[in-house]
Amino acid sequence: MVMSVGRTPVGADPSRASPERGAHARRSRRGLLLGLFGPAAVAVALTPVVLASRGPRAAEPAADLVFDETYRGRRIRGIRASVAAAAGALGAGQWHVTVDGRPLHLMRRADGTWLSMVDHYRSYATALDAVRAAVDELGPGRQLRETRNGGADMGGHSGVHA
Amino acid sequence: MAYTRKDVSTLTAAEKRRFVRAMLELKRRGEYDEFVRMHIDFYVSDGEDGLRTAHMSPSFLPWHRRFLLELEQALRRVDSSVSVPYWDWTRDRTTSAAPWTDDLLGGTGRAPDRRVTTGPFAHATGNWTLKERITDEDYLTRDLGRPADPIELPTRSDLEWALQDPVYDTSPWDSTSTAGFRNKLEGWGSGKGAAAWRNHNRVHRWVGGVMVSGASVNDPVFWMHHAFVDLCWSRWQQRHRDHRYLPARPPGPGSAQRGRIVARHEKLPPWDVTPDELEDHGSIYRYA
Repeated sequence: MVMSVGRTPVGADPSRASPERGAHARRSRRGLLLGLFGPAAVAVALTPVVLASRGPRAAEPAADLVFDETYRGRRIRGIRASVAAAAGALGAGQWHVTVDGRPLHLMRRADGTWLSMVDHYRSYATALDAVRAAVDELGPGRQLRETRNGGADMGGHSGVHA
Repeated sequence: MAYTRKDVSTLTAAEKRRFVRAMLELKRRGEYDEFVRMHIDFYVSDGEDGLRTAHMSPSFLPWHRRFLLELEQALRRVDSSVSVPYWDWTRDRTTSAAPWTDDLLGGTGRAPDRRVTTGPFAHATGNWTLKERITDEDYLTRDLGRPADPIELPTRSDLEWALQDPVYDTSPWDSTSTAGFRNKLEGWGSGKGAAAWRNHNRVHRWVGGVMVSGASVNDPVFWMHHAFVDLCWSRWQQRHRDHRYLPARPPGPGSAQRGRIVARHEKLPPWDVTPDELEDHGSIYRYA
């Protein structure tokens, strides 16, 4: 579920994801980032991820910063913006997650656990657990919205209607 | 003259018909979707910055009390005889009980897409198309009791555990508060599996579909569920008459919760009203 910077060749074939439940695809962090956010975001985001995986100043292990797997037939991918450096591009500490390429908004609880817009009344120990639970809840028959489906515009004070 | 909110299992055929008709009229006018949107907008999690009013905070109860009043006032502009019934999930506990009948909310969703196909809110009626939503589907979804991995509604003793706590809420005033009536009723647990959901949260999970999502207001049962949660607050007040909404004053300058929760006499966004002013609803409505 987690990419290792040192062992994964840059430019690995992104189509080699296993269709098996829980299996994960081995592909490059750069490729993953490109797929998620496009080249502009990668230039900003890649550096802090790599730094976080090396130095003693890393806020958390690199293992917790990226995932990319096929779960119950759905491609789930995520990256967590580094608190230190990627704030401008991605939002400090936020997970940016897609299910079959469509964004899924995650929220963090005070105890460090995560909940998604699909499964919104409990939380899970890791972001990956929360995304898998969202896939469980979607079942085989439902899809996230392509746009405005719980992305950055969901969950904030974007408007008052009263 | 205060009006009455009734137990949904006691509604007459005419009362059910008028409630449904008023709901469909708000939907037709586009007013209903504003409520769905508002609930999404005010769901701020406690692991993130910002003022929390609707969830994971002391004002969970007054925020939803005022939210229900807004909906109820809109319903009563359509039909002044209508009020929001409450669903006592400690009593009506099966998928065939109230409020899941064809003359009120309809039943559970079908496999595999969880689409609700019975009752007046079924998509095929053309009257209940979801607009503010998380998933692609524009139909109402439910998964009552989650048959693939069954879960029970909260029991009377689960609710009693919350009602017995004489303290309204406790520091840190969020989803990790282990004592206090508010979070015991809101239902944020830390455990895995069944212990992860309690009381209010667990009911959202039991209904499933849109009710367990960020767009839960799309299911009309949202209001009946929260009317019962609101009734539980009133029962707690009656049982603990010396206790009130907490915190009474805003957290001090050194507190991590400063500016993130609403104290008793502070305004509760988006309204020009305080928790203190929402504690007594007796002049507006009563529960039967």
